[in-house]
Amino acid sequence: MNRLTQGLVITLVGGAALRISLFSTTYTNYVKPGFRPYLVAAGICMVVLGAIRVLGEWRGAGSAASDHDREHQHGPSVAWLLCLPVLAIFVIAPPALGAYAAGRAAGRSVAPPAPVEPYFPLAADKVTDMTMGEFVGRAWGEPTSLRGHRVRLTGFVAAGDKGVWYVGRMQMACCAADAIAFTVRVQGAARPPVNTWIKVTGSFILPKTGKLPKGTVAPELAADDVESVAEPADPYE
Amino acid sequence: MSDRALVSRADEHDDLIPPPTWRPPKSRLPWPFVALIGLLLAGRFWLAPYVQWPALQTWATIFVAICVQALPFLVFGVALSAVITAFVPAAFWTRALPRHPAMAVPIAGVAGAVLPGCECASVPVAGGLMARGVTPAAALAFLLASPAINPVVLVATAVAFPGRPVMVVARFTASLAVAVLAGWTWARFGRSEWLRIPSRPANTSGWAAFGEVMLHDLLHAGGFLVVGGLTAATLNVVIPQSWITGLAGVPWLSVLTLALLAVILSICSEADAFVAASLTPFPMTAKLAFLVVGPMVDLKLIALQVGTFGRRFATRFVPLTFVLGVLVSTVVGQALL
Repeated sequence: MNRLTQGLVITLVGGAALRISLFSTTYTNYVKPGFRPYLVAAGICMVVLGAIRVLGEWRGAGSAASDHDREHQHGPSVAWLLCLPVLAIFVIAPPALGAYAAGRAAGRSVAPPAPVEPYFPLAADKVTDMTMGEFVGRAWGEPTSLRGHRVRLTGFVAAGDKGVWYVGRMQMACCAADAIAFTVRVQGAARPPVNTWIKVTGSFILPKTGKLPKGTVAPELAADDVESVAEPADPYE
Repeated sequence: MSDRALVSRADEHDDLIPPPTWRPPKSRLPWPFVALIGLLLAGRFWLAPYVQWPALQTWATIFVAICVQALPFLVFGVALSAVITAFVPAAFWTRALPRHPAMAVPIAGVAGAVLPGCECASVPVAGGLMARGVTPAAALAFLLASPAINPVVLVATAVAFPGRPVMVVARFTASLAVAVLAGWTWARFGRSEWLRIPSRPANTSGWAAFGEVMLHDLLHAGGFLVVGGLTAATLNVVIPQSWITGLAGVPWLSVLTLALLAVILSICSEADAFVAASLTPFPMTAKLAFLVVGPMVDLKLIALQVGTFGRRFATRFVPLTFVLGVLVSTVVGQALL
């Protein structure tokens, strides 16, 4: 890889970082929304660094240095690999993790860590909007706190075996590689197309034993309303 | 006879060679790069509508996520390494660190607490320190300690394990112990020919050197980071999660399982505490091993170390760190958790 190409590749990678963070909100498919300033800063850094190199090479400056460095900087051909994420971003345009990832993670324990503060009691006579994490957390930890209350959950549609279907949401701590899936089985409603986003309103079905068996099944929701919605700005919780 | 014919023919060619004053026209178009852009555009408009398989998309999301997540830290680490090379005089390090490696190692390990970043940042910084004459063993202790014991990571750990501050103490103690032990082991048994200390351009000061070093390190470390991201994303998608949780019940095996899981998942050290906390079926000691091993040995880190310090280094240092990580976590876990 010659010096001009080195500059161009760095500019390309920096440009791709800016493309997904500064000029669109695609980056929320991969990392937390709060990560934006760091991505923008890194992108600008790379574009500036690459542009300085490219301009310098075009002007023909530093040709003496380039002979010297060619011996020193022999073979950063591994740097071509930096183009792979760029290729993936433009060609595959990876969406936020959805039904496929949730289906894969189904064997893993879905109980989130216990909250610091106890859950506050729900209002008796109205529908409560709730994160999937809180719903699943209550279903595992304090199932009785959900009894007799209607809640509204937002997530994507995932299909299971034998006509069973779930509403799912991924929770992310830092990036999509560490995402864990929350799934809630929906009863009493027809399944919308897989991976479309819905708001589902209903009430928790308390298991007959009073408690969910640990880490094996998803909590269940008796749905009375399923509404299609657009994908939220932050697809993760 | 034939020799002479050859010579005379060569002479003829010699006459055709332009004189030294002549320079080729500047048409160094970077063809591979032009081809790449062509591929990008073609893929974007013709291929994109057809690549919709869920498994491929999931793989690509995780792969891009690992790269995107690591990029700012890599740029930060590389910039810091370039600052060390271009603006901090070599004499500073000989004054700041004790001459004897046995003393320099623990001090460098504790100094890791001040670099707020994850493991991607610490590899280029350690490389820069070595290039400036810091004892390799000390730079390695810094490399291992800094992603695990800096304040950002410790706060994240405290948040992920509410009501169990002892986890933070255990993580700090075990990580620092592994870093110092690994540094001492390297100082005692390591050979200099195993380690390829990153070379630096001759004129190593000022802004020009800063730009040169930063761009070079960014290309180099970035390429290897992508290797790590590719492997981690592939294993993440290929290995069924149920295999892992199935091993939770066996105590000694559970520690080893989570240590291996930390290597495979290659999660940023600022996030790994949340993942550890979600692995509910596992005992606390196993989770500690996950938190201690992850920032020191994982797939993207192995790729970065191979790229920065050479294969002969990584094949010795990575197993050493892994074994130390598992042993120390077990001991600390038994004592504290």
